[in-house]
Amino acid sequence: MVIIRVEHVDKSFAGRHGNISIMQDISFDVADSDFVALVGPSGCGKSTMLRLIQGLDRPTSGKVEFRDKPVTSVVTGMAMVFQSFALCPWLTVSQNVAFGIEALGWAPDRIKAQVDRYVSVTGLDGFQEAYPRELSGGMRQRVGLARALAVEPSVLLMDEPFSALDPLTAESLREEILQLWRDPSLPPDAVILVSHNIEEAIQLADRIIVLSRRPAHVLADVHVDLPRPRDRKSSAFYDLTDRVYSLITEGGGPTTAPPVTNGATASQ
Amino acid sequence: MQGLLVLLNSHKGSEDVALLADDLDLEIDEILPSLDFASALGLVKVHDGRATFTDLGKRYVAATIRERKAILREQLLRTTLFKTLLRALDNAPEHQLTDEQLTHLFSVTPAPADESVQNIVNWGRYTELIRYDAVQHLLTPVRRAPSAGRTLTVNRPPPPAAPPESHPTSGPSNRKASGPSGPGEHTSPLPAMASA
Repeated sequence: MVIIRVEHVDKSFAGRHGNISIMQDISFDVADSDFVALVGPSGCGKSTMLRLIQGLDRPTSGKVEFRDKPVTSVVTGMAMVFQSFALCPWLTVSQNVAFGIEALGWAPDRIKAQVDRYVSVTGLDGFQEAYPRELSGGMRQRVGLARALAVEPSVLLMDEPFSALDPLTAESLREEILQLWRDPSLPPDAVILVSHNIEEAIQLADRIIVLSRRPAHVLADVHVDLPRPRDRKSSAFYDLTDRVYSLITEGGGPTTAPPVTNGATASQ
Repeated sequence: MQGLLVLLNSHKGSEDVALLADDLDLEIDEILPSLDFASALGLVKVHDGRATFTDLGKRYVAATIRERKAILREQLLRTTLFKTLLRALDNAPEHQLTDEQLTHLFSVTPAPADESVQNIVNWGRYTELIRYDAVQHLLTPVRRAPSAGRTLTVNRPPPPAAPPESHPTSGPSNRKASGPSGPGEHTSPLPAMASA
């Protein structure tokens, strides 16, 4: 079942010398239980795409639908995890996690139970009363994740969630994300990850949407058929990394190269 | 430390330490503190420059986030560092200590003291062995530790790593720290946690 439908989306911003086109004619679907990664060169509009999907911004033309309804304002069924964690420094871990759900108008005891649950699944027990400044980067991002999951979003949006972390921490957090994703009792129904790290995208996602440089269009929609846990040193993993990398580096000018959709699988 | 275990797991549970570091484009000394700590906790064995999971290590990486926490808690409880800390809390008035007292308790050298104490506090909090009030700098035990009935002279134990994902920057002095092992010590006398 399709949860998000992006159809012929164009986005441009007003610049000093007229409009700057960020993306042109972007179309893709995200279905139930999809883990999709958006990859592409810096500045190609990956994060803008997430903002359009969540309804924080509107496309110049084309449309975005969430569960068959056009996205016209901020969608409540989605939550975002940010590269910079975006925690409130004056709130404790529990209060930060509660931040998102408080807007839902729940009774206090229900909010508390929900906070406790997501603090616990993300491994933050023991830090409920800590302030963000007391936490390491990895623990801060766990708070960001707990806050996002606590609203039980249908779609979890992650914008470079591991980029601000050291390599070992990122490795451990990626593994925890996959562990949570495997758990059917936990949200979300689908994940969209923005990453500039191709290996990370292949390690985590089941589908990789490769965007070209600005103005972005979809270069390929690659299915990752590798069994989990994925071995970064396997030749299949390496071949796929190589292919996505080639697509991005060769990935053409504004209107050349028609988008390749659903044509490619890891086994090819 | 957890990052290191995940990394080792992706190498099928046994790998040359140099190649492990290389996989993440890290220098060996960037993963050594995590490795020391993982072996002090009995999760990994290092022999001839090769790191291999122990049975407990295998169980750890196969476990859920919450089960992992329980394993870490058990293992930390066997270390002299945490035995000492919990006993001190047990005997302290109102069962609480300030982090200044903690610094004194472990007589950590002034320079890395803040970091060491913070690491100990972080591990204790992560495994829910202790509570910490950052405003009053106050530690309290989550549950009463059983009294062991013997006094220990603590002789500069090195800091444990920060909570699982990170690799601490432990100075050379930490690695050198050593002392007579207390009787009935469960952990191997490895640098990271076992000196007492």
